[in-house]
Amino acid sequence: MTSRPRSRPAPGAIAIGLIVAALLLLVVIALVLRIDLVAGIRNAFDSLFPVRAATAQGQEIRNLYDIVFYFAAAIFLLVEGLIVWIVIRDRRKPGDNELPAQTHGNNLAEISWTLIPTVIVAFLFYISWQSLNKVEAVSLKPDLTVKAIAGQFQWQFVYLAEDGVTEAFTQVIPQGPGGGLSAPVGRNVLVLLESPDVIHAFYVPRFLYKRDVVPGQVNRFEFRLNEDEAGQTFGGQCAELCGIGHRTMTFEVNALGGAEFDTWLQEQIDKAPASPGPSGSAPPPAATLALVASGIVFDQATLSAPADEPFAIDLDNRDAGIPHDVAIRNDSGLVFNGQDVTGPGKVVDNVPPLAAGAYTFFCTFHANMTGTLTVQ
Amino acid sequence: MTGDAHAIALQEHSPVAGVAHDERGGISNPVLGMILFITSEVMFFAGLFAAYFNVRANAPAWPPIPPTVTEELAEHFHHLKAEPWLALALTVILVLSSFTCQFAIWAIRQNDRTGFIRNIAVTVILGIVFLIGQGYDYTQLGFGLADGVFGTTFYTLTGFHGAHVFGGVIMLSVLLYRGMAGQFSARHHDAVEATSIYWHFVDVVWIALFSTLYIL
Amino acid sequence: MATTTLTPAASAYRSGLYEWLTTTDHKKIGILYIVNSFIFFFLAGVLALGVRAELAVPGLQLLTDEHLYNQLFTMHGTAMLFLFIIPMLAGFANYIVPLQIGAPDMAFPRINALSFWLLPLGGILMFSGFLTGGTAAAGWTGYPPLSEDRPGGLASSGPGMDLWLTGLILIGTASILGAVNFLVTIFKMRAPGMTLFRMPILVWTALVTAVLVLMATPVFTSALIMLFIDRNYGGHFFDPATGGNAILWQNVFWFYSHPAVYVMVLPAMGMVSEILPVFSRKPLFGYKAFIFATAGIGALGFSVWAHHMFTTGSVYLPFFSLMTFLIAVPTGVKMFNWIFTMWRGKLTLSTPLLFALGFLSMFLIGGINGAFSAAVPVDFALHDTYWVVAHLHYVLFGGSVFGVFAGVYYWFPKMTGRMLNETLGKVQFVLMFIGFNLTFFPMHVLGLQGMPRRIADYATTAGWNELNLAATIGGFLIAASTIPFLWNVFVSLRSGPIAGDDPWEGNTLEWATTSPPPPYNFDRLPEIRSERPLFDLRHGLTHPAAVLPVPTDPSVTSPPVVVVDEPVARPARARRTRKEP
Repeated sequence: MTSRPRSRPAPGAIAIGLIVAALLLLVVIALVLRIDLVAGIRNAFDSLFPVRAATAQGQEIRNLYDIVFYFAAAIFLLVEGLIVWIVIRDRRKPGDNELPAQTHGNNLAEISWTLIPTVIVAFLFYISWQSLNKVEAVSLKPDLTVKAIAGQFQWQFVYLAEDGVTEAFTQVIPQGPGGGLSAPVGRNVLVLLESPDVIHAFYVPRFLYKRDVVPGQVNRFEFRLNEDEAGQTFGGQCAELCGIGHRTMTFEVNALGGAEFDTWLQEQIDKAPASPGPSGSAPPPAATLALVASGIVFDQATLSAPADEPFAIDLDNRDAGIPHDVAIRNDSGLVFNGQDVTGPGKVVDNVPPLAAGAYTFFCTFHANMTGTLTVQ
Repeated sequence: MTGDAHAIALQEHSPVAGVAHDERGGISNPVLGMILFITSEVMFFAGLFAAYFNVRANAPAWPPIPPTVTEELAEHFHHLKAEPWLALALTVILVLSSFTCQFAIWAIRQNDRTGFIRNIAVTVILGIVFLIGQGYDYTQLGFGLADGVFGTTFYTLTGFHGAHVFGGVIMLSVLLYRGMAGQFSARHHDAVEATSIYWHFVDVVWIALFSTLYIL
Repeated sequence: MATTTLTPAASAYRSGLYEWLTTTDHKKIGILYIVNSFIFFFLAGVLALGVRAELAVPGLQLLTDEHLYNQLFTMHGTAMLFLFIIPMLAGFANYIVPLQIGAPDMAFPRINALSFWLLPLGGILMFSGFLTGGTAAAGWTGYPPLSEDRPGGLASSGPGMDLWLTGLILIGTASILGAVNFLVTIFKMRAPGMTLFRMPILVWTALVTAVLVLMATPVFTSALIMLFIDRNYGGHFFDPATGGNAILWQNVFWFYSHPAVYVMVLPAMGMVSEILPVFSRKPLFGYKAFIFATAGIGALGFSVWAHHMFTTGSVYLPFFSLMTFLIAVPTGVKMFNWIFTMWRGKLTLSTPLLFALGFLSMFLIGGINGAFSAAVPVDFALHDTYWVVAHLHYVLFGGSVFGVFAGVYYWFPKMTGRMLNETLGKVQFVLMFIGFNLTFFPMHVLGLQGMPRRIADYATTAGWNELNLAATIGGFLIAASTIPFLWNVFVSLRSGPIAGDDPWEGNTLEWATTSPPPPYNFDRLPEIRSERPLFDLRHGLTHPAAVLPVPTDPSVTSPPVVVVDEPVARPARARRTRKEP
């Protein structure tokens, strides 16, 4: 097709020439556009690694990733380089119709490139198994146990008391001010994962970790936040397709210093919105609001209640096998958390008096089930 | 006629002529095809059996008892295992039918067309009796497919087996018809060989099913 | 040069619609498979463009909620896997395998036709969900309980999911019947002299693929049926509330779907293994090692399925991690064998070789990034993120699709009698290669930064904007690269240069007959004494066919096959040669 000069430059020279030319071009572009090349290269290199780990387990995973990465990079450069080298060097010269040497194989080569990779993968398996044991280890007595409940499409976090069974406090707001999974740094936090509906996954990128939330079983894992992460907030997201609200199922993890966390938790337990007391002790409600949950929606988008007087909410859950509840919040945070009921079933919540104003009522399991409560 | 008898002889033994029956010996294409197909069917049932063992291993009790299921259902499940007489009878019938099927094979290999037809006819009848018996058993069980995982796995496994028996009965009936029309001989009866392998497979699956669902 | 003196059978390809609808000729059926697969390739590609268009910038621009988005990626994955890549490779194998073993057709031609026609039927069933309120939307993996039919509308109510299940059951059945066909054909219908260890590698990969399809697909069928029963007959297989187990689906599903990925790549590897030797003018390096490696991958492929389930908390992790690492070894053996096939060869950089090189380099990356996930703790970070999307596309697109295009450019002359245009082919290759890497390389980074899969939108503050935009631009570049390809095909069909029997100096039997071959494939066969019968013939190592017997009976339609009587000295094999000074 194209006419070539009789003698060609050595393939090695071509390769080196191309690489040097590309590099020079890069430098020139960078200078012209005033791009900080060094920082750019470092950023590009860093982007080949995961985000900085915030937990001890995450750091263990990061260390393993690094080792695998360097093996992978070496293999990639070697093999890809070989391909490029061969393509440049072994092109057929036009007019050359002689057959090259018809090598059929080489047993020594076959054995080598079977044994050496086997040794490499055996090593990688070994270190990853060691790592796995460390990451999956669960302490005999964790410092804190939190149940993370994943519904469609909202997270809630139930803090358990020292006995690991009693529910001390339920955080129904998964992120934002007054919300999120607050956890102490430097302590072992055990997370129990439960779902009443479909499979979800608890994923925090800064933990370098995720675990599926499977209905019908309780998965568990432990994490310990690094001390220097106190005061930081990490984003989390459901990582297993769970339906049409999957992309909205986000949450936050707030890292608090040890003492700060203890204070915070006690505050939450103390000011926990009154759970409805036993029916005999509460004063009779001034009004009873009837609310039906069916088809994962409330039948009403607006409710009204009298101000400064206790009132009741009669929740009729008609969704078989699906839990619902009613919680009330306003801009300053949660004001009331009702009882869960799994359908078909009813529950009556006695709500303590609320000040006049606009509130939002919502189901803590299903983010779309929400409406406005006007108290006046 | 032809110039080269050797080439013609080779032509007759060429692989492309070995479609119906392989004179070089070895398995014929339809029989090999049926064996491979049965391999795939074995894997299909393997998936269903895996599901059965999985849900059974996860169940607190098997057969399920209250409160997982109602008293009445628990009673019916227990009865299935305690008194499997009808299922046992069906097992005997199906095993018998495998024997008669094999007799039919031996007969046609010896060119005994009458023996072949008789035995195939008996096999078809036994197959139909099995299906009727299975259907009757279904009505007597007292639980349905929707009655917990026990019902679901039981009906799915036995149901698909029954469907395979039904298919086998159709195939055997076709053999019966073709046999009566004189289409089979000692030299040409690949369809009989293939169908009989299928029928034995159906029998073996039933024995596995019976042992698993009714005995173990 | 082995040529026959028949008039070309090109007229067979101007046959009418009736001929195409009722054919049992493996060559026409192969072409039907290929054309049908390309149609679904473009359809599934459009769905992917929809996904990328939505993800280009944060915010929901094109869709008001995720319902349609979830359908888009579900049907994209389903169609690409079951209606494009598996049948495409089956179609190539259908066309080429009987020719390469010197047979006149497949063992069961009518079942062959049935296997094909179940495909468009299954595809139409699945896609008709768009007209009945929505297709399946639970991902191509269809995990329950999301894929169950539950009240409340947050799972998978409606006929779309059932249509998906039924369509797949039909397609799976078609596959299984095809596998039976391939195995009987390969074991029973090889030409004399073609022992198993003289079969072309493509035939070997078709054999191993058929074994995988035969053993694994029925398990998938059983899972689909169980889900169908759950959804429609009140079954409880996957419902934890009534004794079922959601993880049971994943185990049964992945027991099939992992071997399935080898079904999706082994024939493409087989095609690459045909092309590299021809365009390097050297034999495949390590033919036997290659076969053992392929068989090893097939066997090991059945033992790794739960590496898709590492985060479920229900899996014995070390076993599956070990098996997953081990499967890298035979894959590496193949990679080195391909590379050393080219080593010290004389490479002609035509389009088939370019795509084969694309396969090698991109599949290498896909294999390497897969190894990260084999290390279980790393998988905890990477599972269900865009890292996995990068991995699967590097092996399936960078691997299989590039392999498919290599096969298209290589065998188009045989199938149609005309050459495809080289310049357009190179344009397609460059655009596709750049577009592919621009789309999928950034996804490694997105995964490392924490972007999960299957989300219709992402936060502006997450820092994922530029990479998503780059990936979308790449996606549209891939789409653009198909334009020179389509143009090439349509123009070349009409007026491409005539190919002749053997335009590439091929090694295998399909190049020993006309382009396209006559209905019964061969008038006469060369002698078969190695895995390169045509090479041997061309270089005087074997004798051309000597005798053409006259049939005794004009109604005899089986083609005359000739075997040379006198033994020929086996060509000396050059086991190890030194470079000439």
